[in-house]
Amino acid sequence: MNRFRRQFAFGMLALVAATVGALWLHQKFGALPNHAFLTGWALLAGMFGLTIYNARKKLPFLPLGSSETWLQVHIYLGFFTTLLFLIHLNFRVPHGWFEITLAWLFGLVSGSGMVGLFFSRVLPRRLATRGGEVIFEKIAAQRHGLQIAAENLALGTEAKSLFIAEFYAQRLAAFFSGPKHFWLHLAESRRPVSTLLAGLEELRRFASEGERDKLDRLAALIRQKDGLDYHRALQLALRLWLFVHIPLTYGLLVFTGLHIVLVFGFSGGAR
Amino acid sequence: MPFAPTMLERPQRWDAAFGAEMTDATVARLLATAPFSQMAAEKFPKRTPLCEILGNDTRVLRFRKGEIMVRQGDYGTSAFLILNGTARVVLKPDLAPALLGRQAPGKKGVFRTLAQLWNGSRPAEYLARQKPGQAAGLGARQDADKVRVFLQDIPRVLDHHRTAEMFAGEFFGEIAALSRMARTSTIFADSDDTELLEIRWQGLRDLMKYDDALRAHINRIYRERALASYLRATPLFQHLDKAQLDRVAEAVEFATYGDYDWSGEYKRLAQSGSVRPEKEPVIVGEGDYPNGIVLLRAGFARVSQKFGGGERTLNYIGAGQIFGLEEIAHNWRTKGSAVSFQFSLRAIGYTHLLIVPTQVMEEIVLPSLPKNELPPPVQPAADHFDSAPSASGSQPPVARPESVGAEMLEFLTENRFFNGTATMVIDLDRCTRCDDCVRACAATHDNNPRFLRHGPSAGRLMIANACMHCADPVCMIGCPTGAIHRESFAGQVVINPETCIGCKACFTNCPYDAIRMVEVRDAKGEFLVDQEMRPIAKATKCDLCVENHGGPACERACPHGALGRINLNHLDALSKWLKL
Amino acid sequence: MSGPLPAPEFDAQNYARPNQNWTCGHAGEGKACRLGPDAKGRCRATAECKPALETKPGETKGRWRCTRPGEACESGPLPDGSCGRPIARCSPEPTLRVWRGRATLAVIAVSFGLLLVTLGNPPWRNRFISPGELSKVHSGDAFAMLATTNHLSQGCGACHVAGNSGPNGMVTAALRAEPGMLELVKLATARPAEPTVIDESCLKCHPTRNFHQPNAPAMSCAFCHAEHQGAGLAATTDANCNFCHGSAGKLAAAGGFQGSAAAVIHHFADDHPQFRFITEPWPDRDTLKFNHELHLTRATIPKLPGGTRLDCTFCHQPDAAGAFMKPVVFEKNCRVCHALQFDPETPQLTLPHGSADFVSAFLRSLPKQYLNLATNPAAADAFVSQKLAALRTQFGSGEDLERRIFFSSATLGPETQMGTLKGATRAIFPGCAYCHEVKPTAAGAPQIFRPVLPERWLTRAKFNHAKHAGMACTQCHDAVHSQSTADVLLPGREVCTVCHSPHGGVADACAECHTYHRPK
Repeated sequence: MNRFRRQFAFGMLALVAATVGALWLHQKFGALPNHAFLTGWALLAGMFGLTIYNARKKLPFLPLGSSETWLQVHIYLGFFTTLLFLIHLNFRVPHGWFEITLAWLFGLVSGSGMVGLFFSRVLPRRLATRGGEVIFEKIAAQRHGLQIAAENLALGTEAKSLFIAEFYAQRLAAFFSGPKHFWLHLAESRRPVSTLLAGLEELRRFASEGERDKLDRLAALIRQKDGLDYHRALQLALRLWLFVHIPLTYGLLVFTGLHIVLVFGFSGGAR
Repeated sequence: MPFAPTMLERPQRWDAAFGAEMTDATVARLLATAPFSQMAAEKFPKRTPLCEILGNDTRVLRFRKGEIMVRQGDYGTSAFLILNGTARVVLKPDLAPALLGRQAPGKKGVFRTLAQLWNGSRPAEYLARQKPGQAAGLGARQDADKVRVFLQDIPRVLDHHRTAEMFAGEFFGEIAALSRMARTSTIFADSDDTELLEIRWQGLRDLMKYDDALRAHINRIYRERALASYLRATPLFQHLDKAQLDRVAEAVEFATYGDYDWSGEYKRLAQSGSVRPEKEPVIVGEGDYPNGIVLLRAGFARVSQKFGGGERTLNYIGAGQIFGLEEIAHNWRTKGSAVSFQFSLRAIGYTHLLIVPTQVMEEIVLPSLPKNELPPPVQPAADHFDSAPSASGSQPPVARPESVGAEMLEFLTENRFFNGTATMVIDLDRCTRCDDCVRACAATHDNNPRFLRHGPSAGRLMIANACMHCADPVCMIGCPTGAIHRESFAGQVVINPETCIGCKACFTNCPYDAIRMVEVRDAKGEFLVDQEMRPIAKATKCDLCVENHGGPACERACPHGALGRINLNHLDALSKWLKL
Repeated sequence: MSGPLPAPEFDAQNYARPNQNWTCGHAGEGKACRLGPDAKGRCRATAECKPALETKPGETKGRWRCTRPGEACESGPLPDGSCGRPIARCSPEPTLRVWRGRATLAVIAVSFGLLLVTLGNPPWRNRFISPGELSKVHSGDAFAMLATTNHLSQGCGACHVAGNSGPNGMVTAALRAEPGMLELVKLATARPAEPTVIDESCLKCHPTRNFHQPNAPAMSCAFCHAEHQGAGLAATTDANCNFCHGSAGKLAAAGGFQGSAAAVIHHFADDHPQFRFITEPWPDRDTLKFNHELHLTRATIPKLPGGTRLDCTFCHQPDAAGAFMKPVVFEKNCRVCHALQFDPETPQLTLPHGSADFVSAFLRSLPKQYLNLATNPAAADAFVSQKLAALRTQFGSGEDLERRIFFSSATLGPETQMGTLKGATRAIFPGCAYCHEVKPTAAGAPQIFRPVLPERWLTRAKFNHAKHAGMACTQCHDAVHSQSTADVLLPGREVCTVCHSPHGGVADACAECHTYHRPK
């Protein structure tokens, strides 16, 4: 069986078993007076187990096991911890400002994790299919190069075609001036680039031989720039989801610390 | 405003032009010396007369007492003939790695490992102040425009190591030159007037070709020193006793094909787009009479079949693999329906191989094999369009595994990626471009990444510009200080930054852009310069984390299993990894 | 366009360094300088080279040489030794990872800040950390006054030890919690309903727990009455009651239960025991002889004044609260028909009710009674004599009359006609013994036993007739079939469960009928 299917099968098996176990325990011991405290500690243990993945990533020089295994554990533990969270809440919506904020933080961290998982499995294939592999940090320089090339082509000193220059100034200058169409690229829309290329096509009938050649080169530059934008959009998405997931995790931990103080400080102890 | 930059002593670059000092007088002198004096000049063709060979493919090197001439573990393509003086071969144990310019072996200790936590604040390419090329017991001197490294304490060396003396008229290094394997011993000059004739592999091959005595001599020592043990280790000859093995060793022929300098040539050819199977030297042609099995000893060969107007690559084979066994076994068993070679075998780059003649196979080897080890009969391929290898009757190891597509195979072969024993393969369908691998590499190498997460790609596979630790490490040819070396036999290729003088020999040689020159800096991040204000450069590359615990950090750091260090010498590892 | 795009041109000569935190500001134009920013993000660029001073032998002043890596520049260094081609300084940019780290620090700072601000400010603090709305009874001015009276702190501190403290106090209280934070075994094995620290606060205003039975174990108030569940205190649930009453073990441990009180009960409709007056049973030991069936169904019963038939509501009327019925009283509910006349010719003469001595005295004073009735003062004596003679004729002597009045319980025969007037709608009155138990005494009036009307039959449950006003009395009380006073006409459980059950749809929680706390 291929390796990823094996990981998935094993992980799902473990998750299902843990879910069944947790729900059965919840059934059996749900009436325990300190049920919320016990599930709370279990939840904290789960959160701790999830958070130390961040530490592992910062210690690649220690032989702590492969990041791949850690991520598999992180993903399945993440799902299980979300279930633990629901069990801890007894499947009820919390009231009170503090508890609502805490629940929202957890929900956002968990939800952003699922979004990140989705991105990580879906977006790379799209990038590979599209081609034009480029390192994220070099995209700006590439874009700049394309802009210079396009400007020279359309507006350069040897360019004598006014209509091409006009077309460039009106439609293409903005396109080449910076990264564009972030959301459209995430949605896999080809509309913007097709519109530009169609516009270029329209100019062909009015172009001479040499100008047609120029238009072809301009079209090639547009395609390259579009490919660059696509890469930037998807690679940025692959980075930005972590801007929600990681900072909010630490906020969640701060709030959780206070939550522990509050429940023990204010508890009657009876439930 | 002038200010005082950081200055160091800088050794000169090593001038490595072959035959630049070979004058006619020197050639004449050589012709008068044995064994050249005994060679019949008329046997050499007009295109390559003996004097031209000597003039262009050899050079005379002079060494003073103690200077190291050949390092154990180095790769070289030259054989040596002692013209004058004496040399010593270090037998047991070999010299300490530090004396050979190597990095001390072993992994980082606990403190060094944990200290890597603070790597993040180091400037890029920070080099602690050191005197390059000076290990205890080793000296360096400049001899005109060459750098010579010499042992400072020869008596001590002689005390602690068993050595053998070699005198004028003795050859050494010919096996390494022919078979492209690492030098087996370190040899240093033992007298101040030692003169060495270094013969390039082309010269050696030509000399062997046209001079019977030399050929017989080389054959003899080859068989004596190398062949017997190699045959003993080959699984095919497991069931033979000593007498039979000797008979096989007697009958075996060895040959080299292709071009040892293939890397430079390859780069040029690849850029001009003319790396095509049809242009490679043919070892065995499809349809030829099977006159023997081909045992590949070193290098790589392409297995292909005629298809349309060209050749379709089915697979490539590397060291240790056998070609032609199926056809010969088939002919031996079914006397009536003899088949010819079903595929052609072409040398990629260079190839060093052994041929065991059919007669020997039929008389000695095949009868000794148990029934289940015999390959199944060959079905002559009728349908060339069937891409599935098994249907056309081919057997492993020739068969292309199914998960490696034909395009991918072409891609790997054309770019010579099969050379790598630890090629960095990135699955673009899984890679989230997070750079965890590069950062892990930097964390384990003093905040400096040692590879680029970019390279040629075919479909979903990208071969990144990371050292592949080639089976045939062309980068290791010509290092003047021994800085680039292999950690263990056929192990990781490592550059010792302390002894590297930045001569760019390895950087120029590597066909895969795996070695990068970096300008080193001080603790504040300013460039270190020499007396002429030129920045000091060192060659750097992936060292497969030899010093680190846990193996290559890049592979371990990828969260999605998208990166692998795969041995591409055979396709098994890749096909297994691709079945993800 | 088919097939993947070719990768853009790539500089394979230099490493990409994602491990560095800062990139040169000119990298966006592809002109990153060689040196790069320092670790703190400051641009280090000065000039393209550092000129070297070359002095040939014999020269005093040397010449400055350009040392640019690659090839030297055309113009060469300036005479004072500085490079003629300075590099414009850039604004180094932090990488995305740095931004992410800053975002993390910002979130942590904001979290701490928010928490400190809210926790440091008492009015905000309480509203912020409260896990739910407080019940009305425990909030507001009335409660605040009560807290003062009972020496409790105000606000959250009224109940919670740490209620009015800042973060320090909260942490202290948390560390002192029982069971402690890390005492997992104790947390797991704690018994439910154990009284806790907060119960002491409850007791300050609710001084005694008043548990419903003396043998009920001490339970935490919060076990049944959960606070912070909204404007009302959380209603107790059957689960609270079942905690003890659903567990045979706990009932046995409490001890002292007998009979149906020891039954294990989970739901009213399922396994609540039948009411004791039925199972034991309890007959109604009232001495008054009353036949409901007669009164409610027989045609012989006279109609009430106003023409209506006698029904339940004439005798049984709800009290002011409407929950229970007023006791049946002779003067209001019986005399209407049972007028106690004894003289058929003189219906307006009725016996007093309530004391045998009075009746005796009345009978002895009959002449006087008749005299009061005479309309014509002149013929009064004759009137009285006539009446008395008629009585004698009917009953015999005065003793006979008295005896008859007290002891006759005849239901048939002419004696029953004693009190019946021709054509009048009145009940028969044979004698006191018709309804009461009359015992002769040695001297004086006989003893007539006072009827015993219990105020409550089901003392352990509460019932409210007003809530059942939409029903007919006979749906629960089977009076129409009861001929004997001994019948207790209350309904059994099965009658109640017709409605008070899951399928009946009406609330059937324990608390509907039972209260936990014993009334003072």
